[in-house]
Amino acid sequence: MDDQMVRFTGREIISAPAVPGTSFLKIRYLDSPLMVDIEYIRHLTDSHKLTDGLEVQLRRATDHAYALSHMTPVIHEGDQIAGNKTRFIRGAIPYVNYAASPFLKEMRKEEQDAQSKHSDQGMGGGIARTISEAEQGGLRLISGKFLISKNDYEEFKDICGYWEDKCFMEQGDRLWKNHFAKADFIENGWKIGLYTAPHEPCPEGRLILDYETALGKGYNEIIRETEAKINSFVPEKLTASSKLLFWKAAVIVLKGAAAFTSNYAAEAEKLAANENDPLRKAELELMAETCLRVPLEPPRNFREAVQAFWFTYLLGHIEGSHLGFSPGRLDMLLWPYFKNDPEITVEKAIPLFEELFVKMTQIEYIASLSWQGLGHGNLYQNLILGGVDEKGEPVNNPVSMAILQAQINMQMTQPTLSVWWDEKLDQEFLMKAAECIKTGVGYPAFFNQSTYIAHELETSGLPVELIRKHAAIGGCTEPTLQGMSYGIVQAGFVNHGKLIDLVLNQGIDPYTGIRMFESRNPQTYEEVRSYYLEMMHYAVRNWQQYWNYVMIAHRNTVPLIFCSVFVRDCLGEGKCMDDGGALSNNSITTLSSGMVNVANSLAVIKKLCFDDMICSLGELFHAVSENWEGYEMLRKKALAVPHWGNDQAYADDIFLGLFDEYCSWVKGQNNYLGVPYDPSMLAISTPVPFGKVCNAFPDGRMKGEPLADGVTSPFPGSDVCGPTAVIRSSSKVDHRKIRGGLLNLKFHPSALKGETGSKNLLALIKTYFEKPGFHVQFNVVDSRMLKDAQLNPENYRDLVVRVAGFSAYWVEMSKALQDQVIWRTEHSL
Amino acid sequence: MRGIIINIQHYAVHDGPGIRTLVFFKGCTMNCAWCSNPESQSPGLQLRYIAYRCKLCLKCVSACTNTAVSLNDGHLGHSFDLCNDCESRTCIDNCSYDAVTLTGKDISSDELLGIISADISFYTNSGGGVTFSGGEPFAQPEFLVEILQKCKSHGIHTAVETCGWASEKAFREALPYTDLFLFDLKIINPESHIEFTGKPVDLILSNLAMLTSLKANIIIRVPLIPGITDSKENLEAIAKIMHQNQLKQIDLMPYHNLGEDKYQEHGMKYSLDQLKPGDSRQNIAVRDYFLAQGFICEIF
Repeated sequence: MDDQMVRFTGREIISAPAVPGTSFLKIRYLDSPLMVDIEYIRHLTDSHKLTDGLEVQLRRATDHAYALSHMTPVIHEGDQIAGNKTRFIRGAIPYVNYAASPFLKEMRKEEQDAQSKHSDQGMGGGIARTISEAEQGGLRLISGKFLISKNDYEEFKDICGYWEDKCFMEQGDRLWKNHFAKADFIENGWKIGLYTAPHEPCPEGRLILDYETALGKGYNEIIRETEAKINSFVPEKLTASSKLLFWKAAVIVLKGAAAFTSNYAAEAEKLAANENDPLRKAELELMAETCLRVPLEPPRNFREAVQAFWFTYLLGHIEGSHLGFSPGRLDMLLWPYFKNDPEITVEKAIPLFEELFVKMTQIEYIASLSWQGLGHGNLYQNLILGGVDEKGEPVNNPVSMAILQAQINMQMTQPTLSVWWDEKLDQEFLMKAAECIKTGVGYPAFFNQSTYIAHELETSGLPVELIRKHAAIGGCTEPTLQGMSYGIVQAGFVNHGKLIDLVLNQGIDPYTGIRMFESRNPQTYEEVRSYYLEMMHYAVRNWQQYWNYVMIAHRNTVPLIFCSVFVRDCLGEGKCMDDGGALSNNSITTLSSGMVNVANSLAVIKKLCFDDMICSLGELFHAVSENWEGYEMLRKKALAVPHWGNDQAYADDIFLGLFDEYCSWVKGQNNYLGVPYDPSMLAISTPVPFGKVCNAFPDGRMKGEPLADGVTSPFPGSDVCGPTAVIRSSSKVDHRKIRGGLLNLKFHPSALKGETGSKNLLALIKTYFEKPGFHVQFNVVDSRMLKDAQLNPENYRDLVVRVAGFSAYWVEMSKALQDQVIWRTEHSL
Repeated sequence: MRGIIINIQHYAVHDGPGIRTLVFFKGCTMNCAWCSNPESQSPGLQLRYIAYRCKLCLKCVSACTNTAVSLNDGHLGHSFDLCNDCESRTCIDNCSYDAVTLTGKDISSDELLGIISADISFYTNSGGGVTFSGGEPFAQPEFLVEILQKCKSHGIHTAVETCGWASEKAFREALPYTDLFLFDLKIINPESHIEFTGKPVDLILSNLAMLTSLKANIIIRVPLIPGITDSKENLEAIAKIMHQNQLKQIDLMPYHNLGEDKYQEHGMKYSLDQLKPGDSRQNIAVRDYFLAQGFICEIF
């Protein structure tokens, strides 16, 4: 053993890019600073100034098409696949048409929203480089971690000024702040950390387009079909006349898209003409030929299919300020092209996927500081493999294997890989997935397809064949129907931990002194529990209603047109998604974080104050308000009460009761498209900022510590009966009731060693999903290695770890989030 | 009936096939110098003092009815003999920081069975089961046989990890309910065996031969203790015994000193405190030797 091995156990699977070309792309990515590119928004703004008076769909389509056709086609050295979101290697488009105020506040040095100070961003890696380069002159730092040239900065200021009163956020604010009766509650909720910060800067996403139709027909055919509809349209009902507007908008936006891809064909041709290296010349000529063909016409081979997919994906990505815009079931999409292409092999496909994944990771987003912190720079692009097709037959194929191998080789943070688990999947494929987990990157996450199918059957009532085929994950852990579902556009998260603070303090936030609820003086366990439920009901309902107001403004300012073209059945219905054109509109969720802490706290209250009568409610609440100082013995007793995640009915039953209450309450409100909100729980990085604004809890948690993450993950350190008990607890939850869920398990690398280790891991997943669970993901890392990485970041530039529904580069994570991952990991086997 | 265990580990994957539950019995029939679980040697409950958790609040000092704990030079000192015999253990109840704890738990076979059988679906899907380890499970032979019987009646795969030093009768009684023995061979030379383990080796070898003759399923386990068990002569002697008994598989357990703190925490003395873990290349060479002898061999 060398010295390092003595100190910690390294990762079992270590791999490298398949070819020098992709190795170059990865290194280039890791060395690139984060840039803001204002080109798209400049063109969009120029057009917007000229389109005043146009109906909103037509205006949005015209502006977007104008910007698409004027963007610079950028082909970087070594690129084999054409198309970039910005001109930079790591670049972000500032969508000030969505929200200008976060930028204006920064420029005017005004105070940001209350939560920006609780949401830390990472500062290492490429971000550190950003800052050092900014200081060397010519560039300015913006939004904490991005660079912008000084000229662009001045122009950007003007652009922001233009959008200040026109952007989606401002239009939304005017509506709900003036008309929504509970507006004060929402604003106070932000001040005290009851809710995540306003989501308008990056609301879109958890959306997967209908790539099957995009590739199968080609844009030209879709344009022809739509023009035929326009030409034969007779308005026989006044309300139907809006169809014409959407169809016209669709044609405009598709033609803009065609200009965008044709510009790439021309650029590749130009570069090829000037290229001396015959090898590169041939590559560029092939690229030019490919871009001339797709996506306007259907792909003729595998490479063209990959390029057509990427263009469509990119064009959808450019249109909106997305988080969780996802490729979906790429192995299913590309399999027919792979199968029918005599030239392609798994070995040849791997470098293409490697490049594709670098391209996906190169997309950055810039939004409010709070959401940059909450999302932690992650775009939640979810690529899900395996599962079953419409007939219920397993989908895994050689493309699935190539995709897994590409990410084993590259270990990029994007896309995050997932597997739809089904008992019929091939063992070879599952073992490859286990191998990928053992790299330590934290993906693939496993999802149980049958659980989601049951959920979707119940909520949407669509045929089971359709659900099977289109089931995918949009974003971190939320299932949706690809190509036919309105994205999962929600207001953000409700912090259940903050509700504990409020219950303990008679409705007043202990930090700000703001009164949120009427005072109560609960005397019994039941009274404490109902006080919480009363608060939860009110907080959830207001949050839903507020968002319904906001989304009216969305429809009136930034309806998605390009994306709607590729969501069934918007074109058929003649309605964009904002008007309810998608086949499924029940994907709009209400999100929560921290319920495990509520259940644990209630368990402690019940046991110590009522069952065992060790102390009075008042004494317990007082001890908690003192952050347990001077009450260490009481805290020890609180920690000894069964907590969630040990398969002990005492706490588990309390959690299950709350879960059911939550699910049924959420469904009691219709969303802005007229169908009930769908309950969901997940985490992203919320446990850290949510925990930071909360006092100690009765469950033994100390002031400021992160909350329990995900839906069913136990609070770190409170799962004293091992992972099988965590799984037994978690499987008591009826996962069919919610859209999404999250269980983190952590393993020391030695627990999964070798083929036997992989098989045991797969047996664990199978056991959980037979119960049936919904989601599980794994961190396979020695906490001592992470501590070493904190001390010596320079040795860990490409270390990727799992956070919540996403993986991140260690060095680009904030210290607080790193600490949380170490904390979690220390309790591993 | 009731037995004393130290703890139960779930999702154990290194002690028998598949996903297993590992139950550590308290009490051992031998006294190996390198023991990494010193708290497993004594059969009774033991006090443990974990110094790094202690905030020196001294509540235990005032609570102690035996004056068995005192403050000397800024450190707490315990008279562990008194503590281990103490029945009231007020020090534990008065410690807010879990710095004083009790090692060992008295448990009924039914309660233990309940914990083991909760994971049956994991065993089924992985080909796993339960492994009884320790300490020495055969230090509590009646309890062991009872829990083995109960597990078998629930269809659970059972393994027993043993040092081999127990009565032949106990092995015969356990055999019908034991699917796998993880059988330790440490030192074959009789004098050295007594020197380092405190017990003669002949009973171990005769038990092994008896189990082999009764067609028990056996994997040999050898702790690789530098300078003690890893000599050429000893390893050759082990290989020879394996050939004689027609055994196929051997697990190598490299020495580690991670248990050292536990000696102090239980008021015990570690005699090998100068010993460093072996060289991994050396361990690989040992594995290669057993592979060359035709055995299945893995380093754990």
